[in-house]
Amino acid sequence: MSFWLTVIRQVGRNLRMTWGSQLMTLLTVSLSVLIFAFFYLIYANMLNFGNKLGDDLSLIVYLEEEPGPELRQQLIKKITTFDEVEEIRFITRAKAYERFANQLGKNQDVLTDMPKDFLPPSIEVVPMKNLRSLNQVKLFSSYLARLPGTLKVQYGQDWVERFYYFTKLLSIIVLLSGTLLILTTIFMVAYTIRLTILGRQAELELLKLVGATNNYIRTPFLLEGLLQGLLGSFLGIASLYILFQWIKLRFSGPGFLNLFEFSFFPPVVSLTIISVSILLCTIGSYSTMQKFLRI
Amino acid sequence: MTQLFAPVNFLPRKNTNLMNKPLKTQTETMIEMIKVSKIYPPDVMALDDVSVSIGTGEMFFIIGMSGAGKTTLLKLLCSMETPSKGLIEIGGVPIHQQKGFKLAKLRQKIGVAYQDFKLLTDRTTAENIAISMEVSYKKPQMIRNRVRNLLDRLNLADKHDTITGELSRGEQQRVTLARAIANSPTMILVDEPTGNLDATTTERVMQLLTSCNKSGATVVIATHDESIYRHTSHRVMELRKGQLYNLAGGSAI
Repeated sequence: MSFWLTVIRQVGRNLRMTWGSQLMTLLTVSLSVLIFAFFYLIYANMLNFGNKLGDDLSLIVYLEEEPGPELRQQLIKKITTFDEVEEIRFITRAKAYERFANQLGKNQDVLTDMPKDFLPPSIEVVPMKNLRSLNQVKLFSSYLARLPGTLKVQYGQDWVERFYYFTKLLSIIVLLSGTLLILTTIFMVAYTIRLTILGRQAELELLKLVGATNNYIRTPFLLEGLLQGLLGSFLGIASLYILFQWIKLRFSGPGFLNLFEFSFFPPVVSLTIISVSILLCTIGSYSTMQKFLRI
Repeated sequence: MTQLFAPVNFLPRKNTNLMNKPLKTQTETMIEMIKVSKIYPPDVMALDDVSVSIGTGEMFFIIGMSGAGKTTLLKLLCSMETPSKGLIEIGGVPIHQQKGFKLAKLRQKIGVAYQDFKLLTDRTTAENIAISMEVSYKKPQMIRNRVRNLLDRLNLADKHDTITGELSRGEQQRVTLARAIANSPTMILVDEPTGNLDATTTERVMQLLTSCNKSGATVVIATHDESIYRHTSHRVMELRKGQLYNLAGGSAI
């Protein structure tokens, strides 16, 4: 009989004999993966949403006077010193007037008596479309306000701040649930393997006496941990996918959720979560063997 | 009852590697114990300066009263215990210095029938016997055949699927013996093999051990059952207060 066939038979026997605790561990691992993956999914979608909102975000720096070519270069240099930006646009008084008139559309006759240079010149700064830039937009606006000749800086302060705090909260939740996943997975798997080892003390001793090699004794336990990780994480991800599809179906149509374009993890993220779970469970199993299986 | 002689000296040894060589002739040394002592804490002297050489293919009886150190001696031979002093070689290999894979491979060649049986009482008779063959990756068909053959020979054919916890002491004893010889070991250590058996079953057990011995296995039997060594032509030694004494040939006792 080959080594692997023997090991698989041993694993089957172990699972049969300790199915109760094995099932509890499986459910705990699934639940931990589900909790973590749920928050991570929201976080990932929020990041995506943030990037999309960032497309429309720009900081408008109102200036006292229109800058000449030399001053423009200096301003560009100062702005890019603070952070990389996607675009810097200089808006002259005339251009601002033209835009305003376009915005008024049919009502542009209200501007008839107004001088064409009543609007201040400005600089439109489009930050990079990533969350880091979005999060430090407040700092950026303070920096821009200190530039020479600046009257005022405007951007969507309110929503940017709310969004910033929301994503910060989410990242903390993701971090906590990730820690929870790591702790529960390692602890539960280690505990189950420990129970199995203690319950089979007599058999393990006999195996040693009849000449079982260390690999013969240890491999089934490692394989058990690995299976717990694989099945548990797969169940967790599959449950989340079903939940995701249900929510999409249930809340489709006009409503709040339509503001966001929710999407599930790409396969590579799911595979990474499954791989990490397998690794954690195997570590849990290995650490218990090191402690309780003196061979 | 028996005549006691002076403690024995060990025989000159030959270096035979148990793992690599088929062991057939009695001229080679299978077991060599040189000045072996075993002291259990705090200061219980179980074996005191024991030296003995047992040839390959020899059948060897160790007799003695309860607590004389017979079980300790067998435990030392299969490395279940480590000696406090002295050297033990099995087929030229110092067994208590072996670890891990090498020790496991060596143990696969040693069949031990323990006095306390060490059966898995929640498994069937067949599963208990098969375990010693599974660890050396024997083919399932071969394991099944061997198990059936041994059960037939020990008059346990109808107990194939019985949980060993439900067997009588005598039946458990025979299952233990079957497990010890199932993997065709080159050395068989048997502790009180007939303690719970009637005369007929005792004879069956001894026939089985003799046939293993005739196939080339070294058999060491620890017993205080006089009926099994009374008429033997094999060497018999007595352990008394941790010391080993040579007796005259079995037939002379």
